[in-house]
Amino acid sequence: MRRMIGIKEVEDIALGAAVLGTGGGGDPYVGKLMAQQAIREHGPVELVTADEMAPEDMSVAIAMMGAPTVMVEKIPGGNECVQAFKAVQSYVGKEIRYIYSIEAGGINSTIPIRLAAQLGLPLLDLDGMGRAFPEIQMVTHNLFGITATPFTMADEKGNSAVLATIDNRWMETFARGIAVNMGATAHIACYAATGAQQQESAIHGTMSLAENIGKAIREARTAHTNPIAAIQQTTGAFVVFHGKLIDVQRRTVAGFAHGSAVLEGIGAHSGTTMNIQFQNENLIAETDGEVIVSVPDLITMVEEDTGEPITTEQLRYGFRVLVLAMPCHPHWRTEQGLKVVGPRYFGYDTDYVPVETRFA
Amino acid sequence: MWSLSHDDVEAIAIGAGILGTGGGGSPYLGKIRMQHLLRQGYTVDIISLDELADNALTCEIGWMGAPTVGVEKIHAGDEAQWALAALEKYVGQPLDAILCSEIGGSNSIAPLEAGALTGKPVVDGDAMGRAFPKMQMSTHFIAGVACTPAVLVDEKGNAILLSHMTDSFALERFTRDLCVQMGCTAMLALPVMRGIQAKATSVPGTITLARHVGEAVLAARASKDSVVAAVLAITGGIELFTGKLVDVQRLTARGFARGELVCEGLGADRGEWLHIAFQNENLIAWRGGQASRDQVVACVPDLICLLETDTGEPITTEQLRYGLRVTVLAIPCTDQFRTEAALKIVGPSAFGYHDVIYHPLPKQAGMGIQ
Repeated sequence: MRRMIGIKEVEDIALGAAVLGTGGGGDPYVGKLMAQQAIREHGPVELVTADEMAPEDMSVAIAMMGAPTVMVEKIPGGNECVQAFKAVQSYVGKEIRYIYSIEAGGINSTIPIRLAAQLGLPLLDLDGMGRAFPEIQMVTHNLFGITATPFTMADEKGNSAVLATIDNRWMETFARGIAVNMGATAHIACYAATGAQQQESAIHGTMSLAENIGKAIREARTAHTNPIAAIQQTTGAFVVFHGKLIDVQRRTVAGFAHGSAVLEGIGAHSGTTMNIQFQNENLIAETDGEVIVSVPDLITMVEEDTGEPITTEQLRYGFRVLVLAMPCHPHWRTEQGLKVVGPRYFGYDTDYVPVETRFA
Repeated sequence: MWSLSHDDVEAIAIGAGILGTGGGGSPYLGKIRMQHLLRQGYTVDIISLDELADNALTCEIGWMGAPTVGVEKIHAGDEAQWALAALEKYVGQPLDAILCSEIGGSNSIAPLEAGALTGKPVVDGDAMGRAFPKMQMSTHFIAGVACTPAVLVDEKGNAILLSHMTDSFALERFTRDLCVQMGCTAMLALPVMRGIQAKATSVPGTITLARHVGEAVLAARASKDSVVAAVLAITGGIELFTGKLVDVQRLTARGFARGELVCEGLGADRGEWLHIAFQNENLIAWRGGQASRDQVVACVPDLICLLETDTGEPITTEQLRYGLRVTVLAIPCTDQFRTEAALKIVGPSAFGYHDVIYHPLPKQAGMGIQ
């Protein structure tokens, strides 16, 4: 299937991507503005499903990496993603015909739209996470043996790099170090994948999913109906907590925004507290010391009235929020998937329990 | 052009150890690997800068990291080929010759090994005429040669190519962090430059110089003459101090071996002490009391070299220990490091010693490091 993505669709995608961002992935706002500007200059972007790709057609992911706390402050120079793309093109043996998003959650939903508009290339309706995750190897393509190499990076000052590593975990180590030296954000191009590889390894339809979430919220607001119910209808989210933010701890360390948020229960949850730990993204939610949701399932805080998703860098005292939990893609629920993105990888000594078994 | 022999490697390793001014990593392991390659039938041609074609494509090959780790971490053996292949892929054509980045220490041998394994000639010269701990401390970069493309590879097979850097200080920051992540040592190949640039900005003839220094040491040992006098007859410079090491402070931090040593005088220097600060290499030497640094007697970019008094064997900063009897030499550096612009990058203030003023050691024209 093919259809066009214009200014309005980008608006909806950015809003929906913030829900899928699970608190991280970078605020889609800056990416939205850049994508919309590119569409104004170059025209709308064609969104195509992976089944439209020939098995040997080549695609590449474009993204920003770094600390979301820095992304909202440090403005890209403008040409970095084109540079990263051109560099990766020179290393991938054949012509790259498609751009895709490695991470549907957060800013990386819209960064590839911008490049696709600039280059006049179609965007694939898929991603490699179905959410946001903080590290380079946390991509479903990685589970299917697709390598992030060749991996290119560029910053707004004119520094650039090409990385080739023995596995995708090493890529995270080196790329993170370079991103920190680039000023804690960088544009990257990586995970070149053929049509056949995309069919097997990607999470399909996630650009459309982000758009549908955003559209549902927008329409609910216009119609003065409940935007949170609209999110639930499009994502299957469970409302797991209702509370007020009473404490936020946040540190930007080694290129990540690490921290925790404490919520005091309201209404049905009064008398209990929830603690949410994050590393760019929300990782784990506990009520009164007991884990109730964990990665790889999605944990997203939304403002109680508007349904506006709240990123970890926006968290502050006094916000009244609903905590939503959404099931992740089945690729992440395999033994191999949980090794890469399960709670133990992030240092939490707890078993993963799918959210629907606790709340359905 | 000359072809490297087993004895040449022996002599270069000794000379490079002295020119390493305490750092640059011990040439010992490189020497053994290189001699093994020669025994296996590999050969290396050393060509002078004059013999290098103006339009030839060249790059430096060398190791980066903490010498304290360099003596422990074993190489894969293929790093130079991986690094050259990555650069050649990036520029889209084969490189014609290999340059030495740093004649002092293990990086004197690294380009020779690379030359043997790839069949490319090695150019007789380097970018320091000694050893230095940071990327920007290069005659090429000080003269304005672009520092990229640069490739770092580790023994695991990871390869990182830095295609553009804003300047050589940025290159130092990026590569240092990558090197630490690679396990504190990495092989570096950079930058791709033309023969004409290499000729204009290299310190010439330093592989031959290292060989001559080593040969002089070996000849002096054989004839029971003074090793120190034999070295100084080739390098120029002065004998600073003779004594015994009585204190060494050392830590490995952020990929560097930093520290200081105290040497108690013997013979003519009895009753006096010499203090030396080092960061991989010896940086500043002060004469003074046991706990006082009274007078700077030598400092970067001139060379401060410790030799074991009896054998003339150079002592690297990671080998320093209580009780060693040492003779300390000061050797004049290349004139390319003695300009005002260069001293900002390689002088005492570049290492944080803002109160130390560099007074060039007198040198004789045509002698020692050019």
